[in-house]
Amino acid sequence: MQTRLQAVSGPALKSAIEQRNGSALASFYAPDAILRIMDRNNPPSRPREIHGRAAIAAFWDDICSRAMTHAVDTTLADDGRMAFTQACSYPDGTRVFCISVMETREGQISQQTIVQTWDE
Amino acid sequence: MHVRTRYARSGDLRIAYQVVGHGSVDLVFVPGFISNLEINWEDPGYARFLGRLSAFSRLIHFDKRGTGLSDRVDPGNLPDLRTRMKDIHAVMDAAGSGRAVLLGASEGAAMSLLFCAAYPDRTRALVLYGVSDSSHRQAAASKALDRFINLIEETWGTGRSLQTLAPGLVQDTQFCDWWGRLERFSASPSAAIALARMNADIDIAGVLREIRAPTLILHRTDDPHVDLAAGRDLARRIASSSFVELPGNTHPIWTGDVDRVADVIEEFVTGIPPFQERQRVLATLLSTRLTRPPGYRFSDRRWSEAATNLRERLEAVARSFGGTVVRWEGDRGLARFDGPAKAIRCGLAVAEACRGRLERLAQGVHVGEVELSQASPHGTTVMIATAIADSASAEQVRASAVTAELCAGSGLRFEPCGQIRFDFLDKPVAIACVATVQHLESARPVPPASIDLGCLSERERQVLELLAGGLSNTEIAVQLQISDHTIKRHVANILGKLDMSSRMGAAAAYLASRGRP
Repeated sequence: MQTRLQAVSGPALKSAIEQRNGSALASFYAPDAILRIMDRNNPPSRPREIHGRAAIAAFWDDICSRAMTHAVDTTLADDGRMAFTQACSYPDGTRVFCISVMETREGQISQQTIVQTWDE
Repeated sequence: MHVRTRYARSGDLRIAYQVVGHGSVDLVFVPGFISNLEINWEDPGYARFLGRLSAFSRLIHFDKRGTGLSDRVDPGNLPDLRTRMKDIHAVMDAAGSGRAVLLGASEGAAMSLLFCAAYPDRTRALVLYGVSDSSHRQAAASKALDRFINLIEETWGTGRSLQTLAPGLVQDTQFCDWWGRLERFSASPSAAIALARMNADIDIAGVLREIRAPTLILHRTDDPHVDLAAGRDLARRIASSSFVELPGNTHPIWTGDVDRVADVIEEFVTGIPPFQERQRVLATLLSTRLTRPPGYRFSDRRWSEAATNLRERLEAVARSFGGTVVRWEGDRGLARFDGPAKAIRCGLAVAEACRGRLERLAQGVHVGEVELSQASPHGTTVMIATAIADSASAEQVRASAVTAELCAGSGLRFEPCGQIRFDFLDKPVAIACVATVQHLESARPVPPASIDLGCLSERERQVLELLAGGLSNTEIAVQLQISDHTIKRHVANILGKLDMSSRMGAAAAYLASRGRP
């Protein structure tokens, strides 16, 4: 599917995440973007890294296929950097909280680091 | 590991399921013949397998209706596979999974194939393990089914069904006990027979052409339950599949080298080869060996009985300290623990349990990284622990200095007792001996008291010399050909005359006095 690229902004990110729109999310990334994820299984010394827009699109496609709710809050932005928090909830009550920090370049995300913690 | 069990509603029934892991890909594990979500975690191999899968995925696993913690069904009127396949749907809905990779093991593979054909948009990919289509099962004849059903009739709940699924594991009494427990907690004998009959009737040939999802088919080369040729044939009949043979001679997916299985699945699901270093983990190893008292001859049969007895004791005591016996060869054992104090306390407890017997134990403990990709740990840490046990005398538990340092605050006390050189290490490994009679010792090390052996009789001096050599009362009695009771009286007299409160103190003072010019 052809992805129409659009410039990333706080409201656009919030809308795409909360509507579980994987293709819109993928459109915010630069072709050579890097997404890093840190959680219990992916510690800071060995975070999970996803390289490139295509792989990142597959990642968001998996996440957005889940029947869960996402609430994006506390979006901050300055020249070349953005950050937001995200609270997620599964239908069985399991909750996840993420903090995401990004670097942007020419309106696209070039690097993103997500730190997440889950109900166990 | 505590994982919350939840329940999904599938029609009128409740299906028990668990979710573990934080990965972006949902992986639904569809079990084979029987399962019980909570008993599964008790087996180290099963727990390791689930742990590996949940490290790269959000793992969703469940007990099929009629098994484990899910609602029971009438064994005389079991629903067909299509109805039972809806349990996958129900569990995915409850866990919020829109699309998942299905991992179907054995009979679970047939259910996964059916689900994939019915719900292609909810199947991201398929991993099938140890499965054949119906043509191969019919070729294997109904005699095998009759034999299996007879086995269930006669032995259900004892673990004997392992004979058909993993004959090589029948000798592993610990695993056999767990398997028997899994049988009892997963299904009644009637339900197990009904399940076995129904599994034999499953026909998946009709759905194979409809499978479009990327499919990985795994098969162990010497699977005793399902022919390797059947797996290969299945792979030929699913256009989107690839086939991987793995070495091994067991059927259940969580037995044998589970890391090898998990490696292949992880690479297929994530597209990235597993990070190899995660298979090296920090562990504490307790090496235990049986020792013969000097001058006493055991028959081979007596020695073999003593070794069996030690193995059983070590397994039981290690379990109570959260450890596992990972290797046993002849009269030597190796147990793995997650902490050094637990390993040492286990060593002391096993030695105590063997006290009063002629055969005794010499033990060594070392902490280090071990490789878990093999059936049991191997490598440098194992060699050091074994060498420390070799250096120990009867009833001693010795530990490397690094192990002793890690026990700070545990209440255990150590005395330095030399070092061991290894040609593969730059520096020798310092060794400490665990002090067993702690409450009678001074908190500060004190030089051994000067003692006058002149106050002892000739016999008492002989007893003290043997006692200082590490012999027990029974061994001294054998050596001197007098009764245990007399030895006890001599030891009490020696302690009284030397004004000592413990055997260890008397032995240390005796050795110190001999060492003086």
